[in-house]
Amino acid sequence: MNKSDPHELWEYVLSQVELSISPANFNTWFRDSFIVKIEEGIIYVGLPSQFFKDWYLKKFHILLLKIVRGVSHDFRNIEYMIVKDDKRKQKVENRKPVQQTVEMPLNDFYINKTDNLNPRYTFETFVIGSFNELAYAAAQAAIKQPGLTYNPLFIYGDTGRGKTHLIQAIGNQFKKLYPNRKVFYLTAETFGQDYYNAVQGGTMNRFKDKYRQYDLLIMDDIQFFSKKDKTQEELFHLFNALHDNNKQIIFSSDRSPSNIPDIADRVRGRLSSGMTIDISEPDTESRMAIVRKKAANNGIILSDEVVEYIATSVAGSIRELEGVINSVVCHTQVKGVPPDIAEVRQSLRSFSRPTKTVSVKHVVSKVAEFYGIDEESIYEKTRRREVVRPRQVIMYLLREDFSVSYPTIGTKLGGRDHTTVIHSCEKVKREVATDAELSKEIQDIRTLLV
Amino acid sequence: MIITLEKKEFGEAVASVGKFAERKSATLPVLAGIAIVAGDDGIKLRATNLETGIDLKVKGTIKTQGVVALPATTLKEMTSSFSGSGEITLEHTGDTVIVSSSTGRSTLKTLSYDDFPTLPYPDAPTTRFTISGAVLRALIGTVGPCASPSMVRPELASVLLALESGVLKCVATDSFRLCEKKVSIPGNLPDFSLLIPAKNALDIVSTIPDEPIEMLIDEHQCAFSWKNGLLTTRLVTANYPDYKQIIPKAFVSEAVVLKKDLESAIRRTAIFADSFQKVRIGLDPAAKQVTLAARNSDVGESSEKIPASVTGESVELSFNHRYLQAPLSAITADSLTLSASGIGRPLVIKGSGDTSYLYLVMPMNQ
Repeated sequence: MNKSDPHELWEYVLSQVELSISPANFNTWFRDSFIVKIEEGIIYVGLPSQFFKDWYLKKFHILLLKIVRGVSHDFRNIEYMIVKDDKRKQKVENRKPVQQTVEMPLNDFYINKTDNLNPRYTFETFVIGSFNELAYAAAQAAIKQPGLTYNPLFIYGDTGRGKTHLIQAIGNQFKKLYPNRKVFYLTAETFGQDYYNAVQGGTMNRFKDKYRQYDLLIMDDIQFFSKKDKTQEELFHLFNALHDNNKQIIFSSDRSPSNIPDIADRVRGRLSSGMTIDISEPDTESRMAIVRKKAANNGIILSDEVVEYIATSVAGSIRELEGVINSVVCHTQVKGVPPDIAEVRQSLRSFSRPTKTVSVKHVVSKVAEFYGIDEESIYEKTRRREVVRPRQVIMYLLREDFSVSYPTIGTKLGGRDHTTVIHSCEKVKREVATDAELSKEIQDIRTLLV
Repeated sequence: MIITLEKKEFGEAVASVGKFAERKSATLPVLAGIAIVAGDDGIKLRATNLETGIDLKVKGTIKTQGVVALPATTLKEMTSSFSGSGEITLEHTGDTVIVSSSTGRSTLKTLSYDDFPTLPYPDAPTTRFTISGAVLRALIGTVGPCASPSMVRPELASVLLALESGVLKCVATDSFRLCEKKVSIPGNLPDFSLLIPAKNALDIVSTIPDEPIEMLIDEHQCAFSWKNGLLTTRLVTANYPDYKQIIPKAFVSEAVVLKKDLESAIRRTAIFADSFQKVRIGLDPAAKQVTLAARNSDVGESSEKIPASVTGESVELSFNHRYLQAPLSAITADSLTLSASGIGRPLVIKGSGDTSYLYLVMPMNQ
């Protein structure tokens, strides 16, 4: 028998215990117990509840100690601990076969109380593109040698670029690699609140000790420290304490340390003393990869067309992109099939920001600028080819994106008949479906109009 | 051991305590028993299934002190058959107990008391506070049935009891519906949060009296203590999902209906529900009504209209009718609000003007 293997050791112990107590007793008290770990000669036995712990101490402690001493005198003592429910092996239960009711996505909402990390944020679900690969590489380096390579690691970028995802993924990965070290994630706002409570309640020492115990401290959105002098001072001391002990610190903010207003210079200097990296705007390819990955995480395969449409037409942050994907996921769950491009376009309309009442003039000037023609020529009665195309595109855009009525479009574009407008819109619509170049042009114009 | 007890009182105590004895036979035989302890501090009945445990005082006179364990089922059958008032005497000799009354006499085999476990008691509780038993029963009794019956996810098979800035919340969900009940607690208590296995919680609240109960909580164990008794249960040490994120913040449509209208309409429609128990519910702002419809290819179909005040869009969703019926008994108000947040998204049911209770149910696939 390998006495350092907890499993084998426990099997042996059980076989001995079985000989000395009644089968009923054995089944009741030993069915759910196991050795959690063996450390420095102390065997930690995991039990389901306090009932067991009390009874083990009262009835079985001497017996167990005798058995393990028989194996080796290296074992000094046995300690009993109550193990968490989720760590205990579960009997495999047959789930009820049919349950048609949609389940709540509760799995997404677990937050571990001891480290505040959301397990949903991992590197597996993190999409790497040219916009964030530097930040990703720095994060990996920081995990490999925590506290030594880049300390502090400062990540900044606009809202919804995946800062929180990245820094929480670092925390989760760290936890996996170094189970015995302590991680803590919090936002600057929570820190400030905590500080304030500590001052009020006179528990300053506890506050200081609490934050100094961590091996990895992750602080999100630290731009909120601006103007809070006392909190900054506390952060300064905390920073020094952690940094001097080679504990890794990670910050995130929506702007670079030099651009955070009203922050003490000594704090600013320390924030930027390690590695400062920004996450820029994701390019179209990355956005497509993000859409694909998020959809795949929900078990849905979207057609390339739909992916591209979502990636290009949802302007703004990744968070908004996620919102659209969630509605697509919901659609799929309800209807059973992923939506096609027409349906996505339909549902995106309700998602996009309230359609701006855009002036026809604005559209005309942007399109004219795009095609490099004179704005005035659009309104004229000319039928030159280089003018006709842009004019049709304008009509199409006004109709499709801004839902302007046909007669209005006609009047605004130099008094044309509404049937002309209808014809133009239909024509462009047909061509967009077949002509990739035209569709690309319209895509580009749309981004100009946002 | 020789003790004398009042028949009725003993019968009631046995019925309460008996619930906490182990019902499965595969375990230690003594766990299926009730221990009777006659000591310096009176007569106590004790039972445990290693999940929960109870210690209950009974009035009576002790002639000779002692302890004995008797099988719970036999004892329960005996005491429930007692009629009228009067006294009985329990006399322990050897491995039997003689139960004698003015009219009869029975001899019961005992169980070996040596194996009877001790009840864990939080010696150094992290939180202790006092709450009325009636309030606690209302809280847990209301939400408890919504917890998941499966132990696959222990946190969902539990009831969450959490104090947040003076408001005591009780929450349970099986991931298809969620129920939350709140009550404000006077006094300045620190916040806490604990998970009690739902089965244990329901057993406990059906046993505790209306009088004030002191709760003592440590990391793994929670005790409920009152003048004549003590109950203890293990706690679940998993993380509870952040359920608040599930509760929709905006609604597309809201309807206010009379509770009795909805209750009878659901009952009638449910007769025609299919094997998935599906009932379609529609909120129609134009016709100012809520419609219910169900169809079963074997039975037939049915539809109901309830007058309602409806605001927002017209929306139709399908639900398991059991999940719709469940909250009605817990709502005390005459009318209730149905708030829909869209296709494939949850429906929230509340009593009108009642902010203490919230019920959320997920729709079925169309």
